[in-house]
Amino acid sequence: MPVISLFAWMLVIAFLAFIACMFEDLESDIGSQSNPNSQIQLAPEMGYIHRYFNKAISGEGLSYALSCTISGTIAMLILLQFESVGPKAAILAIPVGAAVGSLVHMVRSSTCHVGREAAHKRFEQPIYLDVFYGHLLPIATHNFMAVICITAIAYIQCNLGILSGVTGASNPFPLPLLCLIWGLTVGAIGSSTGDIHYGTERAFQDKPFGEGRRVVYHGQICRYGDCGVRTSKDVASFCAKFGGPATGLAFGLIVLFENWRTVIGMLLGGLSIEGLANPAVAATWGIGIGVVIAIVLVILARTLEKWARNKYGPFVGE
Amino acid sequence: MGEEEAKQAKQEEKEEKAKPKEEFRLSFDYFNESRLGIFALTICVLIAIFPGLPAFIKGIGIMIVFAWGADSVRKTARYGLGTGVPSIGVLAMGFGIIGGITGIAVASMSFGTLVVGGVEIAFGVLAGVALLALLGFVSGNLANGDKFINMKIPGLERGMTELGIAGTLAVLIEISIVVGTYDPAKVLPNVINNGLIAAIFIISAFGMLQPYNTCLGADERRARTLLMSIEIGGIASIILGIATTLTLSAVQGVPLIVLGAVVWVVFYRAYMKACMDEAYAVKGTGLIKTLGG
Repeated sequence: MPVISLFAWMLVIAFLAFIACMFEDLESDIGSQSNPNSQIQLAPEMGYIHRYFNKAISGEGLSYALSCTISGTIAMLILLQFESVGPKAAILAIPVGAAVGSLVHMVRSSTCHVGREAAHKRFEQPIYLDVFYGHLLPIATHNFMAVICITAIAYIQCNLGILSGVTGASNPFPLPLLCLIWGLTVGAIGSSTGDIHYGTERAFQDKPFGEGRRVVYHGQICRYGDCGVRTSKDVASFCAKFGGPATGLAFGLIVLFENWRTVIGMLLGGLSIEGLANPAVAATWGIGIGVVIAIVLVILARTLEKWARNKYGPFVGE
Repeated sequence: MGEEEAKQAKQEEKEEKAKPKEEFRLSFDYFNESRLGIFALTICVLIAIFPGLPAFIKGIGIMIVFAWGADSVRKTARYGLGTGVPSIGVLAMGFGIIGGITGIAVASMSFGTLVVGGVEIAFGVLAGVALLALLGFVSGNLANGDKFINMKIPGLERGMTELGIAGTLAVLIEISIVVGTYDPAKVLPNVINNGLIAAIFIISAFGMLQPYNTCLGADERRARTLLMSIEIGGIASIILGIATTLTLSAVQGVPLIVLGAVVWVVFYRAYMKACMDEAYAVKGTGLIKTLGG
């Protein structure tokens, strides 16, 4: 029975990871952070004055590590104060921590836009105040959704032993450190998977499908939307249709496979039977299942790539 | 030729105009790269070896060390290290964690800490600072040397050395804020086991990496960039102040929170004002200038 509840908590973690990474990707698109930022930064230098929000805090991984770690630290401090209340204190601690974390993130992104645009003085890029103010609240709210999910994941992992009733299932790492690791991971997945849907599908919308981008055209981003001048907020609504959920799915699947193989390994190692647990067998099964999952994924990816190459052919140039 | 002369004249005019503006920020014009380094090293070593100082003085120390670290990142990354800027800041804090732990380990030995008239002087932490200065110099040489990676970045050796020292001092001062001593029996449960080290790591990394990464561009100005590092020092003070209030004592923590809040408001305002003043234009709204039809 405890193993079933362990499995249920694992599914909760995977679901939270899906939500977290979806909102993380949309938030980074609102401020054009990470990879597309290089083109947003380059555009005024090439003479293309734009109305995008330039949020160059750092890479996505680090900026999410910052907001998630601050959230985890505040949550940890609140949990320490209400230790006598028990797990119920998390109802207060996690949202308050996430609110502080996203507040810090909003402050950091506000300094970015003005800093980068002021450094574009000689290219005649003005600071549009409506762009500046209008993007701060969407950034804070999307960030809050991502950070609250990550803090909840870290909290569940920290207290899994108490929550599921399986002794020894709790993660040995403290809450802020888990938040740091998960923040880095969610940022990394959001950057690697999500940026493609912003960069190549939105910032460079006018190029033929499958074509590479020559260096000559760098900085030549799409500055006009369906109606009027495009801002970064329009990008979020575009990416919410496919890019965000796809990124969330990537991260959710990673978390799901990772936890699934661990739980199956624990089950086969005799964790459910009192006194019969064998860590070596559990670890062997866990690693074995992980290798099988990796091989299946590699074969699937290779098949998809071959199919796409056969269907669309090589890059032919302009 | 005429155009060029006109441009030069314009630039000179601009410089002349900019001079009276910078008067109220005299500090960063006086504290050029070398002076800031010497000043920060002296003050922060003094703060680091006296763990008994009040927390708000240590709070001023972390602001100074952030400014120095951000200046070193700027120095290292100025030669076209676009996306590498955050990595340099994280590298500094990686140095810092190693140096901080080494320093605390040496300070906990019998010869590491002197007690003169009841005042604790932890000379041992300087061993960590010296080790990381050496490590930074060696890694800078490895990256720049002809026989090794040969990156040929001017001033990389000096930048890496400074980053090692600044990172170590930041970690040491922040640990001494939260714990009030370098005794490993108190440092381990209050900083490392409860995970506060993660917050120390990431906030200090941002204090060093974010200013230059955010202000990067053709018209970046050093004084403006460094204003932001002190502003992040304010945020770090607030967060460490909350941690100190809840784990050590309110007498130490509350003045630190007040200091952090005041510094944050003053320097955030100064930074935003500097950016808005120096931007090409600040418009409420407007359409973009269209090139080529």
